Amino acid sequence: MERYISTITQLAAGFKFTLIIFAFTILFSIPLGLLVAKLRMSKFKVISGITRVYISIMRGTPLMLQLLLVYFLPNMLFGIALRDLNFGGVDYRLTATVIGFSLNYAAYFAEIFRGGIQSIPKGQYEAAQILGFTNTQTFFKIVLPQVIKNVLPAVTNEVITLVKDTSLAQVLSVTEMFTAAKALSSAQVSIMPLIAAGVFYYVMNGLVEIVMNRFEKSMNYYH
Amino acid sequence: MKLLEMKDVKKSFGDLQVLKGIDLSVEQGEVVAIIGPSGGGKSTLLRCATTLETIDSGFISIGGDTLVSTPAGSDKAHYADKHQMTEIRSKFGLVFQNFNLFPHFSVRRNITEALVSVHKKSKEEANSICDELLAKMGLSEKGDSYPCNLSGGQQQRVSIARALATNPEILFFDEPTSALDPELTAGVLKVIRDLAEEKMTMVIVTHEMSFARDVADRIIFMDGGVIVEQGPASEVINNPKNDRTKEFLAGY
Repeated sequence: MERYISTITQLAAGFKFTLIIFAFTILFSIPLGLLVAKLRMSKFKVISGITRVYISIMRGTPLMLQLLLVYFLPNMLFGIALRDLNFGGVDYRLTATVIGFSLNYAAYFAEIFRGGIQSIPKGQYEAAQILGFTNTQTFFKIVLPQVIKNVLPAVTNEVITLVKDTSLAQVLSVTEMFTAAKALSSAQVSIMPLIAAGVFYYVMNGLVEIVMNRFEKSMNYYH
Repeated sequence: MKLLEMKDVKKSFGDLQVLKGIDLSVEQGEVVAIIGPSGGGKSTLLRCATTLETIDSGFISIGGDTLVSTPAGSDKAHYADKHQMTEIRSKFGLVFQNFNLFPHFSVRRNITEALVSVHKKSKEEANSICDELLAKMGLSEKGDSYPCNLSGGQQQRVSIARALATNPEILFFDEPTSALDPELTAGVLKVIRDLAEEKMTMVIVTHEMSFARDVADRIIFMDGGVIVEQGPASEVINNPKNDRTKEFLAGY
């Protein structure tokens, strides 16, 4: 019994980092994704070209490799000792994880948002223009709310994937939940800690689904 | 006073010249109907007048303000600056063929949003303008509905109300009933007729010949990017002079 409680407590300690990675990635990657989508649709060929390459690399290489690169780059480029690197008292391993995840997920979100933005009929922009709305007003009042409704199912997919992807942080030795589960599993010579971790992920994604479903329903008043 | 003036307006899409030098002026209180076959340039003309398309050369003024002009000796049109454009856009309204209402806004917000966020009117003022317009359109009960819950005819009347809300000097209609079945068309045409009786200045692109004859002071027949024939409504419809006009009207 004591062993179970100790397992759960240690998993919960790891889950704290899982949540931190998850929350900060969502916080940064969604606005960044919107920006990347806008740049990708830029009239200026250079800007849209660079953005296209960025998205292609982010989607075309393993996230695990990207995390390692973000972590080692300051040392490779500027010779900074990674041990000494911390922002606001946070271990650089965690910071690098969040940066890596945010850059990667921004690329995926960007393509989802681009699809959503391009699905808005031209007539919406024309009506807004005739009525005198500025470009900024048109985007935030007319276009974005409709885009959000359109992209919600695809965004939910990404969010659910992100919950599970947080386990990749182990590559930078961030003791998120899966790292903790693996350590417990080998110490106890039992697969139970891993299964318990699976239950944690599943429950968290259940919550994600409930929240996103509510959000979708709240926008069902029009179609 | 001329509320719309166009001189020698030319517009091409790639190699295709869609407007080949259009001269058109509309007096205050006048109702002008533009008829003609598809691809003849009617909609492009309307879109050029309403700033949705830019012209290649020529002159357009709305409500006495110059929207675009072409300096003598130049063949490139010169548009008003951003600030003037905003000013000019507040002088006219446009009703689209497929309404283009904002689906995520209630009927009320569709009508009031521009009043509040563009014209800086108070919410109360915007709401009272909205109530008045909805009553006029026979939609007093529909303020809280969303466009998707309205019939096509009701949606088009909401979009007319939206265009009228900012109190434009001139109103443009781009085939306002083409997306509607005959039954729904009647309600929309009645609203336009009422506006004509109030001496609202209007330019209407339409395929409804009998409506055009009844409501318009002047009819313009366009084909091949030029104005082929124009004149008093009954004359053009009942006694067309040009062979192309006769041929077109024979189809109705």
